[in-house]
Amino acid sequence: MSQFDAYLHEVLERAGHEAARDASATIEAHHLLLAVAAGHEPALTSAGLGYEALKDALRREFEHSLGVAGVTTAAFDLPPATPDLSRRPQLGASVKVALDRMVRSHRKKDLRPGHLLIGILQAEVGTVPRALALAGVDRAELVERVRSELPGQ
Amino acid sequence: MPSEDPADALAAVAALRRLADQLEDSAVEQAMRAGWSWPQVAEALAVTRQAVHKKHAKRLIAAGVTLRRRG
Repeated sequence: MSQFDAYLHEVLERAGHEAARDASATIEAHHLLLAVAAGHEPALTSAGLGYEALKDALRREFEHSLGVAGVTTAAFDLPPATPDLSRRPQLGASVKVALDRMVRSHRKKDLRPGHLLIGILQAEVGTVPRALALAGVDRAELVERVRSELPGQ
Repeated sequence: MPSEDPADALAAVAALRRLADQLEDSAVEQAMRAGWSWPQVAEALAVTRQAVHKKHAKRLIAAGVTLRRRG
């Protein structure tokens, strides 16, 4: 297993835990981004997107999007369900698209952790770009920063 | 809906699905803790008993909920 394969395996494992905790049947791009952030990715940290800040941004996106339909999470007074942390959620559509973007742009032997992050950040629509926009993050600038930190740049 | 931006409307759909999944997990757990049976929960959710069992049984057993086998 290459160093990148080991990294990808570890991040997907962590993303699976994020999805299970989120009561999600699938691992989506925002779970993958949280997993990357949990590894203290320097480009995310310097953009003010540590793990907790990102979680907060995602929560705000969730509430904002529900608000479009006139729904608030506070309207429901049910206790949170006990998550099944032994469950292994499947890869969701948004993760598959991010991985596809990554492998289409680079040869397998050239892949580095930054390429995965770029694949996630390049989504133009969906939960991740909306959460980053609400957090005031310039996504294009962040992608450039990650790119500039790749070896050989 | 107050927004005319399709991105907002689509994001609302995605967020409502996530909320529905979270509410289902919570509501099923509360019902089973209160002694409801699988057929009752399934009928209340308008899904088959097999579907609700497959989706929730393992999680609830792991959570230590005592499950009734019959309605």
